[in-house]
Amino acid sequence: MGMQGDFYQLLKEQGYQFGASVAAGEGREFMTATTILAFKYRDGVLVAGDRRATAGNMVMYDRTDKVLEIDRHSVMAIAGVPATAYEMVRVLEHSFKYYRRTQLQELSFEGKLRAVSKLLKDNVAAALSGTGAVVPVFAGYDFQQEAAKIYFYDILGAEFEGVEYAVSGSGSPTIRGILHYLNTWGERPLAALAEEEAAIQALRLLTSAAEFDSATGGVNRESNLYPIIKLITQDGVRVMPDDQLKRLFESKVVRHV
Amino acid sequence: MYEEPYKWVEAVGNRRQYLDEQFKQGSPVVALTYDSGILLLTVSKGTPKLYEIYDRLALGGMGHPADLEKLRFSLLEMAHVEGFNRSPSDVTGGRMVKYGIAPVIKQAFEEVFKAPFIVKILLAELGQKAGKESLLVINYDGTFEESAHCAVLAASKPVERDMVAYLKQQVSTLPSLEQACGIALRAWALGDRLQRKTGENTSGPSHETTQEPAAVDAASLYAHLRDTVAEKTIECALLDRSQSGSSKYRAVTSEELGRLLPKDIGIVLS
Repeated sequence: MGMQGDFYQLLKEQGYQFGASVAAGEGREFMTATTILAFKYRDGVLVAGDRRATAGNMVMYDRTDKVLEIDRHSVMAIAGVPATAYEMVRVLEHSFKYYRRTQLQELSFEGKLRAVSKLLKDNVAAALSGTGAVVPVFAGYDFQQEAAKIYFYDILGAEFEGVEYAVSGSGSPTIRGILHYLNTWGERPLAALAEEEAAIQALRLLTSAAEFDSATGGVNRESNLYPIIKLITQDGVRVMPDDQLKRLFESKVVRHV
Repeated sequence: MYEEPYKWVEAVGNRRQYLDEQFKQGSPVVALTYDSGILLLTVSKGTPKLYEIYDRLALGGMGHPADLEKLRFSLLEMAHVEGFNRSPSDVTGGRMVKYGIAPVIKQAFEEVFKAPFIVKILLAELGQKAGKESLLVINYDGTFEESAHCAVLAASKPVERDMVAYLKQQVSTLPSLEQACGIALRAWALGDRLQRKTGENTSGPSHETTQEPAAVDAASLYAHLRDTVAEKTIECALLDRSQSGSSKYRAVTSEELGRLLPKDIGIVLS
């Protein structure tokens, strides 16, 4: 099996089970209490997420990183059950590395997309029982096509390309409309924005989501808490530092009345 | 025929002779710590000899490509399963060697009815902190040695000893990447030249050292390189602490190598 470089298969052979089926509940509502977004800008793709983790009405944690780097050129932003999502990221991270190291070449972008689908498909039982639904946005640089790309998924594992942008989580309906408006009637389409302009829009979008969705954490200036913004270009994944976010937020997002 | 103890000892002895013979044509491998990590260098013909194993582990090998592949895969499998089930920091070179491949190699070596692994392996590990580097060398019989600053693989022990002595003599403080490249390549040339000499000497390398003069001049080593590497590739890889992300392994491209190698060497890299 090793010759195929399939780490997930190797794990399964060793008795590992992902997305263990739990006795189906009564079709509980899927909780995706968060807001994540990705859109294409001039140099690549920007992926952003708020930092709040909730359980029902309770705010559990305010420093979550939901935009997770899988390798040097791809990230997965997660909405849904964190336990399953983090486990998925761990499997993917090891799978991509294992493939590269055994096969002596990088797994293709399409191969990476398939790997995400496969995990979601194996997770269907847990997702439907209400204990493990994950609705991720996957973004990365495709070296064959020489372009950064965005894909979003449903909980069953179907993949869709977000040609211009993609959103997920409970706060996403709010900003989906804004993204459409901005992209269509804004001064310039999103794909023409420079890096800092794109980051300003991302901060404004997440602030809007937090305004209308209690499960989305906005910016908390007293605790110096800013959303996570990651940029994917040909050179790899880069995290936008907090002090830069702070500067942009204070000069371009806060309304001084 | 092997039921009597002395026959078995004799069979293992024959095996040693057979294996020593197999490595005579092999290309040495050099590993050396430098100011940002570990450098591995060899000269290969076709099949690569340096590989990434895990976030902080790299492999250099000598011997039969099929055997090397087999052991490389078992190392990769072990490292990734362990790194996934526990944590990447639990994947250490020491554990991979002591509880992983060394027993397998030893067993294959001593089972005289089966074929042994025709391999020598160098496993380099970048420490979590600078200065905690570890270089493990595993011989074809499963014995292994650990060292901190430099290690080599070569056809015979005397050649390895001379190469290590050369490396130690050349390195006083932690070298830069550029310096390390030059030193490693010269050490390779020294090893390769010694192997060829002892190869011509049919009496075999049974003596303690190869009697190569301690001070070897760089010019003669470069001359040897110009003669030998024409149709081969200088292969160089790094475990580079400054590399962003969790994987620290990086293969050095031939353009970069062209910039790093000493100017007076006179080799044009393809």
